[in-house]
Amino acid sequence: MNVQPRTSTVLTGLAVLFLALAAAFLFTLWGRPAPLPPLPLVDLQVVNTAPVRTNLADLIRMKADLSDFDCYGCHENNKPPPLRYDANHNLIMPEEHKDIVMGHGRHNRNNNCFNCHNETNLVVLQTRDGRELKLEESTPLCGSCHGPTYRDWEAGVHGRTSGFWNRQLGAADRNGCVSCHNPHAPAFPPRKPAPEPHPLRPLAKPVLASERSH
Amino acid sequence: MSDPALPGHHATDNHGGQRSRRSFLRTSAVLASGAAALAASLAPLRELRNYTSVEQWLQKYYKELTPDEMAKVLKRIEDEVERQYGLRPQVRDLKPMDGVEFVYALNLTRCIGCRKCVHACVAENNLSRNPEIQYIRVLRMPHGSIDMEKAEHNYNPELVPEKGYFYMPVQCQQCENPPCVKVCPVHATWQEADGITVIDYDWCIGCRYCAAACPYWARHFNFTKPSIPKDRLNPDMAYLGNRPRRQGVMEKCHFCVQRTRVGRYPACLEVCPTGARKFGNVLDPDSEVAYILKRKRVFIQLKEELGTSPRFFYYFDV
Repeated sequence: MNVQPRTSTVLTGLAVLFLALAAAFLFTLWGRPAPLPPLPLVDLQVVNTAPVRTNLADLIRMKADLSDFDCYGCHENNKPPPLRYDANHNLIMPEEHKDIVMGHGRHNRNNNCFNCHNETNLVVLQTRDGRELKLEESTPLCGSCHGPTYRDWEAGVHGRTSGFWNRQLGAADRNGCVSCHNPHAPAFPPRKPAPEPHPLRPLAKPVLASERSH
Repeated sequence: MSDPALPGHHATDNHGGQRSRRSFLRTSAVLASGAAALAASLAPLRELRNYTSVEQWLQKYYKELTPDEMAKVLKRIEDEVERQYGLRPQVRDLKPMDGVEFVYALNLTRCIGCRKCVHACVAENNLSRNPEIQYIRVLRMPHGSIDMEKAEHNYNPELVPEKGYFYMPVQCQQCENPPCVKVCPVHATWQEADGITVIDYDWCIGCRYCAAACPYWARHFNFTKPSIPKDRLNPDMAYLGNRPRRQGVMEKCHFCVQRTRVGRYPACLEVCPTGARKFGNVLDPDSEVAYILKRKRVFIQLKEELGTSPRFFYYFDV
């Protein structure tokens, strides 16, 4: 006699249960992953592949204003510019060349402009063995002193390369010395590092190994 | 049970028609709402579409795919990426070149620890930005020895390099004797003829044995669906390379197969500001890496004692 009401009670109960489940699934009441803390996207400058310097060859290619390289706009022809030194044998840089920082070599030994520039013809460079080179083709000049590095550079092992490793399929783009090194202060300048990795569950502040108690 | 529509019940049901109709309406309402609730409770199944498709489910093993089947697979992937990111990529299946074995060499004297390679790799290979997956880890270690116990990932000074430290980027070493390949229960990862250990993301079951086997921490698992901003997607993709991964699969550095198998340098090499990274075909005696292995002071291989024989060499100038 009571079979039918009981059956419908059970069926109604099941229906309610299923509806509740459906609602729970639809609104993802459980098993919802905790939202990840937002991470800033990296600045696109970080993935820029351009070399760190713009050199004269680049400026010529870009057809930029080259008046800074017109030596005889200011200097007189056939009159080698005099070099002046202070008591510590530091080169006194004339006002017109204040932007040049002398930092080539240790102990201030390489402080004579005419170690590399040609004294009598300022628009060219000169190696110690007498070869004259254009200002934008300075790499062999660097090589005349830095032999082992030049040898590595010629083999493609020193310096930056981009393009194709397989030279049959495409060209490789090699950079000369002055694409990365400032010839007057050639040490590679320190730079700001790109963002450090963020762990999946970020710590309040990453503890550096050097700061951990030993 | 009380359904009067059933002929059997109708014959035995001797109660009045009104009662039958009421119980019929009640029961059918309960059944209908029950069925609707059941259907709704299966709603999560609809989301499966985001994770897989019938075509992918029925796809054959990579090495058994005929060129025609491969073309269909590549089209499916392109469709999926377009649907997800609104950008039509070019997905290719690139095979190893003949007579090529890739080797990477990294100059520890030149590395300044700027982490540009890390982010160039993320951009090139469509890695997840949040949570972050990065194939390259740059370790900072104090001068004197290569002591992993003193290595640091989270250094963040104003300027690098810092005095008294050197930097050692570590990524997949492309071992000649890869432990990760040996443990894979489904052969979803294997070593190709050019030395690159690749992963078929459609075959990986996500067991993470390979991550446990790798002594270099080179394998990374997609615990969540990778998130890549649409405007940062790299559309130049390869099947075994940088196509977007699903949740629940393993990934790792593959020497940028989408670049290196068409003759180009990897992304981490091109972005390195100091030229510390060198890459090439070691079987070519005129290549840069052959020159380095012949003439440079090469600190043989990382964790050499494990016998994994990496194709990734660290070296020093002078």
